[in-house]
Amino acid sequence: MFELSIAERHILGNPKMVLFTVLSVALAVGVIVVLIGLTEGYKQNLIDNTIENSPHVTVDPKLDEDYVYLYRTLSSIARERPEVLAASPRLVGRAAAKYKDNVEGVTFIGADPVQEDILLRVREDMVWGDYYDLRFKRYAAVVGDKLAENLELKRGDDFRLFRQDLTIQVKAVGIIDTGTGLDSTLVYLPLETAQILLGDGDVVTEMGLRLSDIYAAPAVAADLNERTRYKAESWQEKSRDILDQLETQQVYSVIFYILIAIIAGFGIANTMIMIITRRTKEIGILMAMGADRISIMKIFVLESVILGPPSALLGGGLAYVAAKFIGTIEVPAEMYMTDRMTVILELDTFLYVALFALIVNFLAGIYPAYKASRLDPVEAIATE
Amino acid sequence: MSNIIEIKKLRKVYGDGVELVALDDVDLTIEEGEVLAIVGPSGSGKSTLLNMIGLLDTPSGGEIWLKGQNITKASPKERARLRNKELGFIFQYHHLLPEFTAVENVMMPLLIAGMDKKEARHRAITLLEEVGLGDRLNNRPNQLSGGQNQRVAVARALAGHPSIVIGDEPTGNLDSKSSDMIYELLRKLNREMNQTFILVTHDMDMAEKTDRILRLVDGRIVCEMRREGDEFVSRDICRAD
Repeated sequence: MFELSIAERHILGNPKMVLFTVLSVALAVGVIVVLIGLTEGYKQNLIDNTIENSPHVTVDPKLDEDYVYLYRTLSSIARERPEVLAASPRLVGRAAAKYKDNVEGVTFIGADPVQEDILLRVREDMVWGDYYDLRFKRYAAVVGDKLAENLELKRGDDFRLFRQDLTIQVKAVGIIDTGTGLDSTLVYLPLETAQILLGDGDVVTEMGLRLSDIYAAPAVAADLNERTRYKAESWQEKSRDILDQLETQQVYSVIFYILIAIIAGFGIANTMIMIITRRTKEIGILMAMGADRISIMKIFVLESVILGPPSALLGGGLAYVAAKFIGTIEVPAEMYMTDRMTVILELDTFLYVALFALIVNFLAGIYPAYKASRLDPVEAIATE
Repeated sequence: MSNIIEIKKLRKVYGDGVELVALDDVDLTIEEGEVLAIVGPSGSGKSTLLNMIGLLDTPSGGEIWLKGQNITKASPKERARLRNKELGFIFQYHHLLPEFTAVENVMMPLLIAGMDKKEARHRAITLLEEVGLGDRLNNRPNQLSGGQNQRVAVARALAGHPSIVIGDEPTGNLDSKSSDMIYELLRKLNREMNQTFILVTHDMDMAEKTDRILRLVDGRIVCEMRREGDEFVSRDICRAD
């Protein structure tokens, strides 16, 4: 195949131009791989957080009520389902925390430590102290690590919680790092203590269920909705907005990738047009020697396509390095649910993007190659 | 001798609006094995005629027959095939592919024809030895002199055993010594292989060594002289320019 050897020599004969073309495509490949990795990482975090860090089924108060009053009954109804591993009545509310002169807004969660630990694996996230201490100590609290930092609160310090005109004093017996945005506002309390702070009696705001099978959540929720007048919702329903949003975001991402590819494609096309302009006379000579239009077209499409694999490889390498670097950047956990950006790089992504680069190279090469094949040999040979 | 090329009432008109007649009803017959020189002032239509015979350009009117086949309206693909099989080109500047060595340049038309690489290489080496460049096989055009490059170009033009070799000022860019060497080479090949040579030239010394001289002015053949022994005899009365 003489076309291939000509294409090869053309490429080796223009190292600088070729290098920049390869770089431009490699950058496009790198950016796309990293972006896909970031999106995947974000999605994975989101799902992990949704499934691991929130109840599989949440039961909210009846339509016109603020609280779940008969939570003990509700709990025993829920436990009739064999999939239910834990039913944790939770009182979630907002308050202010004060230590020395520092004041921070907090979200307190009053719960039974045993049930809550099964529900959300609270003890796994403890930095120090034991969440189970809340079982025996009435005025004790487990505090999010960022919140403790902001309050300058240390182990064993007493601090105050304010809610409207109620104040309680609690002792920090543990610090927790959930790795989510909650860390800067979270205060775990024993359920009774939270009820005192709320001042509305023996009530909870919700009940969280953990299931042995996460995909049973919709069925369990439907069952509870049928048997009680409380509002049970599965994690799938609760996260629908986020999941939908992710889907929408992915559509935008694909459009964005295509735009990047088009820009890279123009870069390639530009190089090819330059090569062809420089080689016009040579194309004429090849035609005089009997190369037909298809051969001429082949030469330049091949040239463009040959640049694909090195671009894809280099782009893959760039993406890998960038991903390692991005993985070390700290981000505010409040916004991203995690304190490190996660870039998930899968072999599949590399392969798809490499294929994509080849297609872009191929498409970008077609038009210049076609133009080359249509040159008039007499004019081409006469070009200076 | 049989006619290898017959040209009947060939016309070429350039431009829309202001028309420029490059060839004006040219009739011409070329015999197999003939060495023909086309001379004439610049813009007389020499190169246009050569490009027509070389199937690089298409006429506006008239017919071109190659080996008894009317190729006036051949498709681009067929023309490319014929250029590869039947024609060899030598240009004023060698027009070798700069990234390829001498032997690779000579191989090119053979590879285009689909010949096996090894076989093509063998043939290319033989040809380069014939043109006296057996020791320059792996040099690139920029490592060879003008005359050497032109000899590579001659070898390339002859590689595919073309029946017609077309030269557009093949020695126009060379000193007289190299020029003579190239012409002697062409003549030798002509005698050995009975190939037809059609040369456009400004060099009257060279033209006078051929078998026939055609003088073109304003797209018309105004004079035709044929060699008889050591002298040229004009067939028609040569009109004064």
